[in-house]
Amino acid sequence: MEEVVASPREWIDRNESAKTMLARVLTARPLLLLPPLHRVPLRVGNVVELVGTSPSAKTHILIQAAVSCVLPKEWNGVHYGGLDRLFCLNFLGSLKKIDQEHMDFDLWNNDTKKSPTYDEELYSLCMRRFLFIRCYDSFQFLATLKTLNYRIRKEQELHGISVHILMIDSIGAFHWIDRASTFMPLGATNRKTPSLQTVSETVVQEIRKLLLLHPMLVIATKATIFGDRYSMETKRNLGKLDTSNSRSMSSTSLQLPYREYMPSVWQTFVTHRVLVGASDDPFIRTNDGDCSLYFSEWLLPPQSFVDKFIVKEAGVFMVP
Amino acid sequence: MAPLKYLEQEYPILDSNFQNFCATHGIFSEEDLLLHDLHVLVAFAEQQSTSERLKQGITQVLSIIDGQHQPWLNGMELLEDAQLNKHVLSTGCEGIDLLLEGGLRMGQLTELVGASSSGKTQVCLLATSNVAKKHMGGVVYLDTGNSFSPQRVIDFIRQNSDPAIDQAKHRILQKVMNRILCHSVFDIFTMFDVLHQLEVNLRSQMQKGDCQVRLLIVDSISSLVTPILGGGGSQGHALMASAGFLLKKLAHEHNLVVLVTNHTVGGEGGISKPALGESWKSIPHVRLRLSHDQGSSIYNVSVFKHPSMVSGKAARFTIYD
Repeated sequence: MEEVVASPREWIDRNESAKTMLARVLTARPLLLLPPLHRVPLRVGNVVELVGTSPSAKTHILIQAAVSCVLPKEWNGVHYGGLDRLFCLNFLGSLKKIDQEHMDFDLWNNDTKKSPTYDEELYSLCMRRFLFIRCYDSFQFLATLKTLNYRIRKEQELHGISVHILMIDSIGAFHWIDRASTFMPLGATNRKTPSLQTVSETVVQEIRKLLLLHPMLVIATKATIFGDRYSMETKRNLGKLDTSNSRSMSSTSLQLPYREYMPSVWQTFVTHRVLVGASDDPFIRTNDGDCSLYFSEWLLPPQSFVDKFIVKEAGVFMVP
Repeated sequence: MAPLKYLEQEYPILDSNFQNFCATHGIFSEEDLLLHDLHVLVAFAEQQSTSERLKQGITQVLSIIDGQHQPWLNGMELLEDAQLNKHVLSTGCEGIDLLLEGGLRMGQLTELVGASSSGKTQVCLLATSNVAKKHMGGVVYLDTGNSFSPQRVIDFIRQNSDPAIDQAKHRILQKVMNRILCHSVFDIFTMFDVLHQLEVNLRSQMQKGDCQVRLLIVDSISSLVTPILGGGGSQGHALMASAGFLLKKLAHEHNLVVLVTNHTVGGEGGISKPALGESWKSIPHVRLRLSHDQGSSIYNVSVFKHPSMVSGKAARFTIYD
């Protein structure tokens, strides 16, 4: 009792003012708001899943997010509005090779939009902030995740800024291979057999641990690998007949246009889910030529509207 | 990935004490370590009497694991690789080259989809002759249906050559044909054998500097994969995915153009769609659709999927006899 009474002043004395607290919290966690994921603000600790059948601009969205992440807020007095952070990308099964020139173009277009001259220094600074790795099987992916902590720390020391986004393209790449790997009983009863379930559990566990040490936003793409009974073509035909419902491509409240195949441990780990795909009208004409039209729909948290966007040289743009 | 006991020779810290400690947690090999939570293992190690040595062993294994994955690259390094190594090879067919803005790109897996006699093999043979002659690169042709025709390749070569140079022609022709290697494969396991052998050869070739293989064709991959798909098990799909990844790995690491052909099957509403299903869709980088006007020598090609081009873009081309 006496100890408690002796230090009431300490209770009243503040640790920090509201201003310093906000300054600390808000600078550490910038929001990500970019099309077509701008409907729901994303922050570190979120795990976003972009699901769609191929081709559906998933990798383009990743590139867009990457570019906005590495651009600095200000450079030579020009405000780019970037997040000024590092960024980590895991290619699984070399499933998508980022068209290098495409990414350069993106970056370059972003730069030149704001300033008249192409700034070599800024360009190479930004390019060095991307970290890529390819994985050819689940074990390489697990090996990467286990050593990612040290790698991130090294890069952060090198660049002086923190990693903001971890991208995995795409998470279901080794699904079939892991599923088919049936191993003989391994003798020792406490030995884990490598299977789809154990690999997914370990992946989720490793990413969770990583997020504790380095708060990041995780974006994973996932290709649909099961054609559904109500395939895209049928839905398109149905949509043409039923003129009142022009959004036949999107999910109805009853069923999704794809079948979920990731194990439940991954499904519960995901905090946000977006469905993207090619739209009914395959392309629209713009000033820069034909562009493919895509739709995006938030599945988690569920939203009632469907956005449309196009992909151009300069990036992803929403279509009203 | 090796069992732990074989690592002891190279890394003496992974001695029998360490192996026994791991065995009590069900870890006998590197794969087991990958599936295990290493922090938990360290916590258990601290309770042991030889904790320092065990923890050093775990650190050693972690650095071995670090060598198990591909190297990290930053954006500038990727850009340099793309600019130096990943060029575009012309197919010899103007229409396709125009559509693809130059031709087939190295490091990418391109798929030609089409119904039978829509020109897929013709395009493959044309690309073979062009790469062997103009780009002076080696070609590896995996033929699954005995459709490779050396005579047709020679016709293509002769079409584009200067008729005035007659003397040296025979020697040149021999040289060009020597760059083309054709394997007949009739099942997917033979294809894996051939591709693994090719991988070994390419790795040693890099040191020798021989005639570099530039083009790898599998005509057709669907006839190898279709017999093993279906039947309820997932082995067929797993083999298909592994084949796709192996082809892409070869394309990327050895700067090859990989071209595969696929046939079509009936889809909903009578519209034909590419075979091999939904899982295969995301594997090729570029998917082109070929069709042929009956009775004429005009072919249509359109883009199904491309990393930087709108789907639906189309072109026409002619292949002369």
